[in-house]
Amino acid sequence: MIMTLLRRELKVARRNWIGLAIPLLFFIIVVSLFPFAVSPDAPVLQQLAPGVIWVAALLSMLLSLEQFYRSDYQDGALEQLLLMSSPTMVAASKILAHWLLTGLPLVILSPLLGVLMQINHGVEHSTHTWVLMLSLVLGTPTLCLLGAVGMSLTLAASRNGLLVSILIIPLYVPVLIFGASTVTASLENMRYNGELAILGAFLLITLVFAPFASGRALKISVG
Amino acid sequence: MSQTSDIQFNGLYAHELTVSRSEQVLLEDAELHLAPSTITYLHGENGAGKTTLMRCLAGLLPADHGEVYWNKLPITHPESNYFQDLIFLAHSLSMKNELSIAENLSFYASLRTKVSLNKQQLQQQISSVLNELGIGGLEDRMFAELSAGQQHKVALARLMLEPAKIWILDEPFVNLDHKTRGWLSEKALAFKQQGGTVLFTSHHHIEELPIDQSVGVEHE
Repeated sequence: MIMTLLRRELKVARRNWIGLAIPLLFFIIVVSLFPFAVSPDAPVLQQLAPGVIWVAALLSMLLSLEQFYRSDYQDGALEQLLLMSSPTMVAASKILAHWLLTGLPLVILSPLLGVLMQINHGVEHSTHTWVLMLSLVLGTPTLCLLGAVGMSLTLAASRNGLLVSILIIPLYVPVLIFGASTVTASLENMRYNGELAILGAFLLITLVFAPFASGRALKISVG
Repeated sequence: MSQTSDIQFNGLYAHELTVSRSEQVLLEDAELHLAPSTITYLHGENGAGKTTLMRCLAGLLPADHGEVYWNKLPITHPESNYFQDLIFLAHSLSMKNELSIAENLSFYASLRTKVSLNKQQLQQQISSVLNELGIGGLEDRMFAELSAGQQHKVALARLMLEPAKIWILDEPFVNLDHKTRGWLSEKALAFKQQGGTVLFTSHHHIEELPIDQSVGVEHE
């Protein structure tokens, strides 16, 4: 089930890549404008880097939520999927596909934006970049999972983008706080395992509950 | 709520079904029995609740009261095979515009069967069904590029590609030419002969398809 659905999602995405490119482009543009607007000074940028990159990543994820279940809901594919397998499985495979298409590209692009924000300024090694990537690897799936719950709850409402944002942003904030502070801790040469552990804990908790909750909500939205 | 053992009917059986939509009661304490090897015609005016009833029977819409049974088990029962046996074709065709006809059809076929399918065999099956429907050779065409009638035919092709015991078809004859109407009727009769149950709606009388049972939904 998961593999079949995943293959289909990737095929659809490949033929509809513009929709996925927009949130990614947004991520790059927001971060790359900061050096122009604030200051091209390396120490200043370095200090801003964790917050700026994380906020941009969060907004980009929020932007891409719009496409989560929407097209499947509109063309009726969602109800066929719900007839053919359990709601939790449907939600889990959609979430996995969505993360691979939106979260993973952010992670891959983040070192580039790290360079742009002078994240490794003053050090010989590239630990900071790795910590940034690691924090995004742990954080973005959580954002995806939470977003899935929000989207599936509001599917039946027209123009649900704003509603989802209001519902979901409070839940995104803890992830943002610990995500950005992981990178900040690394920049200040402090231990960052604690923050990473909390990001991991967020991920595990949402991994357990979100597919189930999202599946239930899908069932209600379709009914 | 009645016990499972009370239900002696095979096929689909709705017991004391009450369904409402936006606070309007469409059905109250309805009994409906769709036996194996029967074709049932569901009729009613626009907005009378035919689609709502079908979605309820397909398990997509929870009933306010009552229960739907499939071969004596409630359809929500964990051991029920209902969802493996059911093909529900709704108004929305459930096909992806970004995928080709063959990709759309093989996606649903491989979701339905748990074992991995022989790909070549499936492709051949798809080709032959599309040939019968008069859209042979268009397998690799994107779904979005087809005409409305052709898109509808693709959705109907699913009936031939996925094993099932009950078909619930919402307006299957709409948008179809004479020849395809005949094709669908023929297939429905063959399905009935194999013990299949068919429930369909239509606004017109379909001469080609003899029905065993006619059920009406009316406004209060």
